[in-house]
Amino acid sequence: MRRAVLAALAGSAVLAGFAIAALPFSRGLLRVPRTPYDASEAAFTAPAWILLERAESLIPRDSSVVARVEPADANTDMFLHRFAVALLPGRKIVAAALWGVPTAPDLLAEAEFEIVVGATRSSPGRRLVLSTPEGSIWKRDR
Amino acid sequence: MRPGWIWLASFAVYPIVGAPLLKHPVFRPFGLGARVVLAAGCGAVLVSLTMTTFALAGWQWGPLPVLASIALAVALRGLVRGLIPEGSDPSPAHDARGDSRREGRSGIWIAHAVTATSLLAALAATVAARSTSPDLLLFWGPKAQQFATVRTIDAAYLGAPNLEYLHTYYPPLVTNVFALGAMIAGRFPWGAATLTFPLFLTATAVALFGTLRTARAPAAAALATALTTSALALVGIHSSVAGNAEPFLLFFEITAIALLLTPAAGSGAVQLLAGCLLAGAASAKVEGLPFVLAVTVLFLLLERKRARPAGRSALFLIAPTLLSSGVWLAFGATRKIFYGYRGYGHVSEFHWDHAPAIFYAIGRALWQSGHALPFAIPLLVVALAGRPSRKALLPLGVAAGMAAFLLLTYLQSSSNPSLWISWSAARVFSPIAALLALAAWCSWDRRTASGPP
Repeated sequence: MRRAVLAALAGSAVLAGFAIAALPFSRGLLRVPRTPYDASEAAFTAPAWILLERAESLIPRDSSVVARVEPADANTDMFLHRFAVALLPGRKIVAAALWGVPTAPDLLAEAEFEIVVGATRSSPGRRLVLSTPEGSIWKRDR
Repeated sequence: MRPGWIWLASFAVYPIVGAPLLKHPVFRPFGLGARVVLAAGCGAVLVSLTMTTFALAGWQWGPLPVLASIALAVALRGLVRGLIPEGSDPSPAHDARGDSRREGRSGIWIAHAVTATSLLAALAATVAARSTSPDLLLFWGPKAQQFATVRTIDAAYLGAPNLEYLHTYYPPLVTNVFALGAMIAGRFPWGAATLTFPLFLTATAVALFGTLRTARAPAAAALATALTTSALALVGIHSSVAGNAEPFLLFFEITAIALLLTPAAGSGAVQLLAGCLLAGAASAKVEGLPFVLAVTVLFLLLERKRARPAGRSALFLIAPTLLSSGVWLAFGATRKIFYGYRGYGHVSEFHWDHAPAIFYAIGRALWQSGHALPFAIPLLVVALAGRPSRKALLPLGVAAGMAAFLLLTYLQSSSNPSLWISWSAARVFSPIAALLALAAWCSWDRRTASGPP
């Protein structure tokens, strides 16, 4: 019995040690993260999070918005739709892709605002609202 | 004050709601800390139940559901009073705190230090954005945010085209709790929501120690708490549970089963309390429901003396779950958005040809969560404790039942579920780590028991 109790104590200490070892020391533990996903396995979502969070204060409620990535990728676009639903409440979110299938361009054109994660060039029919290292926000001319 | 702090402060509502029930003297031996935490657990269950009932009735949320929950807690206290006139509890909780004089206090403090280290690691991982769950952003957060905006469970939102990924039928407790905080804070604070991981892990540790020490020496209770907390902290950090339903589920499951492992489990009041907490598990995640069924059946079978009369014990353990799940399923059916829980395949169809891939994927997923140590160490401790005590059969039986349920769920998937397993297995199997730790504690108890049987 004593063996089991000692094993429990030693085992708990080992588990606690591994928990500490799992902390992201290399990123600087005291550095304030930019997003809740900075050091997680979903860290790839951080640029989209930052851009969508900035868009929250720039895009009026009840506007229609499409979020997409450049270069185009239907799978990433599907997740950007979900992130936009979460981070832009009160807006009508148009999906650039659903279940890996891109949405028809004429449906996308209905969105008043376009959020592009990644680099994109200016094009006719839209005006730049914000440009950041993570991407840009555009307002379509009506 | 920032919305995140207000949102976190909103959790103070729950111990206030649950206080009338936990103020009964029968719960006094658990100690103030554990009683506050258990009251919070009951409070969350009652508030979530009334919020869902309000949604079912078509009434908007406001202060009224909270007041109705307090009234419900007062009614439950009346029931407990009726069951146990003060001073005549047929099976009072044994206060073993005095045993600490005989036990090495240093052992207790070492175990507490390990627990505190694990809790701090969970907090640090959360604050450093190491363990945030993608599910927070994908469905828990959006649903809570929307429900807070419209002040009810928004059936139109849940049934909207293109939003099927929100898992419409997932039980409502987590979104209700998140939404209530968002209503009080004025917005849903994403970062603060991740702190529910260290918060609920701390609550679990406090409740576990307070409960277990009523059965046996505080040193054993402290050690079991350290083993459970350390295992859950490590698996939680690796499997990214911050902001999702796992911390809620684990809190309700572990506190409920811990209560049933104490001598006080023979008391109707404690069975009712465990039943309320089990309802919390069933209202937090789908897999909480088979957990409740396994606990109830095994408790009635293995603890026949304490589960007497069996009908009353069964009622106390399962009625809160039937009520909370019934209200939720009624909401789904009346709004025509869901008619039950959905799996990822047909109920009666098992793809046994996937079994090797499933076992490999589960092994791989557990290995990636701290080299499977959160599962291997409690298992090793159980093995070293020798032949399991009769009491240990409850957590071991529930662990076996849950493992079988999860394996069968994966086997129902018509396509190879390896990817699904890679992101879910460590999380969904984590209650088993805690159950093994509790089984080990039960077996230490057998040799060194000093409390009443």
